[in-house]
Amino acid sequence: MPDAPSRIERVLNLLALLLDTRVPLTREDIVREVAGYPPQVSANRRAFERDKETLRGMGVPLTTESIGDTGEVGYRVRPDDYYLPDLGLSPEETAALRVAVSAVALGDVTAQGEGALMKLGGLTTEVVAPIASLPIAPALATLFDAFRHRAVVRFTHRGRVRTLEPWGLSSTRGRWYVVGFDRDRAAVRAFRADRIEGDVEVGPADAFTVPDDFRPDDHVQSRPWLMGDDAPVAARVRVDHGHADAMLAEFGADAAVVDEQPDAAVIEVAITNRAAFRVFVLGFLDHAEVLEPQALRDDIVAWLESVVKGAS
Amino acid sequence: MSPRAVAGPEIQRILALVPWIVAHPGVAKTELAQRFGVTVEQLDADLLLVLMIGIPPYSPGDYLDVIDDGEHVTIRLADYFRRPLRLSPAEGLALLAAGRAVLAVPGSDPTGPLATALDKLEHALELPGLVVDVGQPELLPRVRDAVARHERIEIDYWSAGRDETTTRTIDPTLVFFATGEWYVSAFCHRARDERMFRVDRIRALRATGESFEPAPSDTDPAETFTPRPDDPRVTLELTPAAAWVAEAYPTEAVTERADGSLEIVLAVSERRWLERLLLRLGPDARIVGPSEFLGVATGAAQRILGRYAHTRSERLETGRPDT
Repeated sequence: MPDAPSRIERVLNLLALLLDTRVPLTREDIVREVAGYPPQVSANRRAFERDKETLRGMGVPLTTESIGDTGEVGYRVRPDDYYLPDLGLSPEETAALRVAVSAVALGDVTAQGEGALMKLGGLTTEVVAPIASLPIAPALATLFDAFRHRAVVRFTHRGRVRTLEPWGLSSTRGRWYVVGFDRDRAAVRAFRADRIEGDVEVGPADAFTVPDDFRPDDHVQSRPWLMGDDAPVAARVRVDHGHADAMLAEFGADAAVVDEQPDAAVIEVAITNRAAFRVFVLGFLDHAEVLEPQALRDDIVAWLESVVKGAS
Repeated sequence: MSPRAVAGPEIQRILALVPWIVAHPGVAKTELAQRFGVTVEQLDADLLLVLMIGIPPYSPGDYLDVIDDGEHVTIRLADYFRRPLRLSPAEGLALLAAGRAVLAVPGSDPTGPLATALDKLEHALELPGLVVDVGQPELLPRVRDAVARHERIEIDYWSAGRDETTTRTIDPTLVFFATGEWYVSAFCHRARDERMFRVDRIRALRATGESFEPAPSDTDPAETFTPRPDDPRVTLELTPAAAWVAEAYPTEAVTERADGSLEIVLAVSERRWLERLLLRLGPDARIVGPSEFLGVATGAAQRILGRYAHTRSERLETGRPDT
């Protein structure tokens, strides 16, 4: 429901007063002074609560302070907390940000990118070709803010509660990860942000420091066959020509061609997650087969036989 | 705070608009309307509201002073709105994420205005660093180049869905990154229609020496995977362990049963794609119908088993150790 002009006017006048005042003001003062509040106490109390909610929802740092020792509560907005600092951006830099925001779709926070641009002096009017779509899960903005304040977070991820010092955010292969120090496991871990269930709890600020040389992307494993805790084994896969380059590209620098055959190549790669590796190899259908180790080969054959059996 | 529906968009716009006008006295209203994404009529309505902003006791000098000659506008006496509101966490995140994503694209200038703008933002706002990796398929720079120059190219393309490699002449119009992969949208002369190609599946690329007249493309990367109306619909039964499938693919119907299993309807444009999905899920998925799809998983599994059996007999014949 769009706000009525009279309400917009009232909220803007409320904010003007809260920014202008040097002392916290009580609700009674505010609803008496600011134009547009209804005279009845119950109605103006409701209206004031709603306006407060609107301002806070926009990120206005509206503070509550007690006034003297009267026990009364007062409200104000400290200009230093409200004003966007001058970023010293050149026109070229602002233009580059505009193009970036227009070219990258961010799912639920796309509108926030446009809101940020308006604060920096407006949107772009040129037509910008889309470059990327990187949808941002709602939890990510909370994690981003928690990182900024060095606050420990708690969340449920794949059914388990995690307590994490968020050290950084990273996007790999179109997915967003929060990377940090997992306090329960006492180790650096990465979690896919879109697999976080429910709300993220944020603890007090300044609860940790991030090592200077930390890079979140060092800890994000985009190769699922290396994501498990199985003992590492060197697997050999025979893959038909025409598919070998694609397989090598997926394996990355760790893989090597150990045998070139007339119509196929044998590739060796280290794996620590057999199930993920099986999924990967089966993605090549009958263009690839695991040669070694025998246990892994047997595992795939058994899996395929179970598929045949299960369907009949 | 999670990003929620933008609260009071008019209020937010006015709070950004006022400081801008204060800093640029006499700015043209047409320019303002463009910058803030509104019509001049809407801008006039905003300015009328601005006239009503003031502080108690609301004497004439306590209101914002708006000077509007119909084409240009100036605002004075707006000390408390002299700067815009600081960025919210979601706004900061959106700026950085978009900026870092563009910088990660191969060929971006790592020291250009975007890079310096992001450094200033991170520094002034004490924003955390954010690392975006969008990968770099080998032929991406070449494809981007062809798009930029409207160059007609010939590609050898491996279609995963049909598991075949074809040679096509294409007019590439747009390159973009979505769902973790790079795509090129192009007019395909073989299909005589717009097609989407995954850049990492282009096995070879050759120049044709021809160029093409670019037509406006209405490709929306966010809608890359819209099923076609005539794609066959397949009904699958999934155990709770495979419930993620319903989230990961455009599912047309989901029925949850009492035991936690799901029955879903999926549009399946290519049989090979369905084979991969079923082989991956193994015992956690079963095809319910239609009947011509009942044997998909078994057929694929038997084909691959055939390959394994062949290797085994080969080894027995040649006497190579079966390690």
